[in-house]
Amino acid sequence: MRLLASFSFRLALLYAALFTLSVSILLALFYWISIRRPIEQVEAGLIAESARFETLYREHGGQALVETLERRAELPAPRQAYHALIAPNGTVLATNLPSWPPEPSLRWLRIEADIYRDGEEYDHEALVLDRRLADGARLMVGRDVQDIDDLDEGIRVGALWLMPVMALLVIAGGGLMSRAIGRRIDAVGTTARRVMAGDLSERIPVRGSGDDIDRLGETLNAMLERIETSVESVRRVSDSVAHELRTPLTRLQAELNALNAASPERRTALIESAAEEAERLARMFDAVLRISRIEAQRHQPEMRRVDIAALLEDAADYHAPQAEERGLALDTRIQSGLEIVGDRDLLFQAVSNLLDNAIKFTPPGGRVALSAIRAEDGIALRIADTGPGIPAEHREKVVERFFRAPAAETVQGFGLGLSLVAAVAKLHGSTLRFSDAGPGLAVDWTLPARSG
Amino acid sequence: MQILLIEDDGRVADYVGAGLREAGHIVTHAGDGKAGLIQATAEQYDLIILDRMLPQVDGLTILQTIRATGDATPVLLLSALGDTDERVKGLRAGGDDYLAKPFVLSELVARAEALGRRAPGLAEQAVMRIADLEIDLLGRIVRRGGQRIELTSREFRILDYLARHAGRVVTRSMLLEHVWDYHFDPQTNVVDQHVSRLRQKIERGGAIPLIETVRGAGYRMRTGA
Repeated sequence: MRLLASFSFRLALLYAALFTLSVSILLALFYWISIRRPIEQVEAGLIAESARFETLYREHGGQALVETLERRAELPAPRQAYHALIAPNGTVLATNLPSWPPEPSLRWLRIEADIYRDGEEYDHEALVLDRRLADGARLMVGRDVQDIDDLDEGIRVGALWLMPVMALLVIAGGGLMSRAIGRRIDAVGTTARRVMAGDLSERIPVRGSGDDIDRLGETLNAMLERIETSVESVRRVSDSVAHELRTPLTRLQAELNALNAASPERRTALIESAAEEAERLARMFDAVLRISRIEAQRHQPEMRRVDIAALLEDAADYHAPQAEERGLALDTRIQSGLEIVGDRDLLFQAVSNLLDNAIKFTPPGGRVALSAIRAEDGIALRIADTGPGIPAEHREKVVERFFRAPAAETVQGFGLGLSLVAAVAKLHGSTLRFSDAGPGLAVDWTLPARSG
Repeated sequence: MQILLIEDDGRVADYVGAGLREAGHIVTHAGDGKAGLIQATAEQYDLIILDRMLPQVDGLTILQTIRATGDATPVLLLSALGDTDERVKGLRAGGDDYLAKPFVLSELVARAEALGRRAPGLAEQAVMRIADLEIDLLGRIVRRGGQRIELTSREFRILDYLARHAGRVVTRSMLLEHVWDYHFDPQTNVVDQHVSRLRQKIERGGAIPLIETVRGAGYRMRTGA
């Protein structure tokens, strides 16, 4: 059944059941307090009285008991006393009850004991304990319980009235609740369907009340935001890849086409150039894949203790001839004994990319400085150069794949180097900050002493 | 060398096989993991080139099976998964070297020859001699024609590695991996500049060149006289 499958309907049913159960429990409790308990008290009193009278009868005889019973009946009491004492031979020795069952029932009786006063009839009901005494005499002692009976009657009538009212409340309340929840769940569903249909900018309406469903909506919206950004970035990357592919593929095609008509020496050159082009393409794809894998945390980093000071020295050493060739000074100021937990190869790759960029972009005669010091929150790495720097408006974008700042047009590269650095930084729980070194670019990278 | 090539892609197998044969090796090709495993246990090879991703039996499983039998034949893993963590997995499983697809044939041949069991090259000695070049590994002293040459420790390690593989091609990435001991993809290959500095030092004064550049592949150190 569709209705049963609906969560809001089931919730409404549950609500009805809980509501009914609560009201029933309340009624039962009320009944017990106002009816059962007083009756039990009266019963306890009657049992005690009856036992006392039995003793009296046994020790002092019928006459003594008759006198006691008659005195008891005349004594003003909140509950009028009733009694009947019948001798073994059937003679009624004393009573103020109008009637009783002919046979002793040996249990609790209810006997009508209406009172006529000033020509008016007052209903009275007596709760009577009917016993047989040792010599066969029958003793009935009772008390008026009309007030309790009236209340009982009232409660029963009330409960009878309460039923339809309760049913009405349950249906109306459940329905309203089910609709309210259903509508809010539907809103989520509608949004989800629109998103599925392709509109990733759709968001779940949030009331701002901060309740559960609102919070759920906010979480889902945050998720949608995240998905939209990553889909957007995937789209941008695939667009860029496609775009970046055109030039090398065109060149490759041209070189291969030219092969037929080429002279033997030219052929060798063409083949070499084509092979280089293909290798370049493969490297570009590798780089894109690598960044994606690191970003998606699909790369299982080899996290272990890394002597970052030694790693930085190695990186500087690796790039030293490159800097020298460009006529740059490569200065290092690395505090010794710096250690972090991280992926050694990826860290080296990242530092190497940063140094490579700094060296490529700094004009001859300039300076590239690599420094690392122990900072409060980890290890502060800084690579500064005296190149053109990155204009403030591009600083956010430089880590995007294939983004190349206008100044980079003359420098060869894919525009992937910094994306990889950013991915590695993120993998190590850190971020990169680009700033103006006045003149030049400064990259600050604080590596947490313990990451990953 | 007797080389067993376990590779499911026919075109890659043809290309690799032809390249290795051209370099003078005998190549047996197995087209899937099962056949490869049977071949590997049936015969003694000097080198096994193993594709990481194979139908039926996965390359790593084959490698582990081979190693479990106590067979220490050098294994060069080929894989389309070029990431460092994949590389580490391959080496942990008992691989000796790892080459990511796509690769240049010369790179594969160079690595295969560096790994091969019956590969020539200088035996482990305290002092290696190539022509009039003398490398004292313990004292870390290099002499050319009796003349002492001052090298930085990095230059010494490059020379050491080239000398150990004398007569064979050493590619730039092999140098990166073994001399720098980092697996990374350099934005700019500065290895050439390091080698040329080394060359300048050991070939100073018109001495005969000992380190030759192999086009499209890497470097080769001349052997003996």
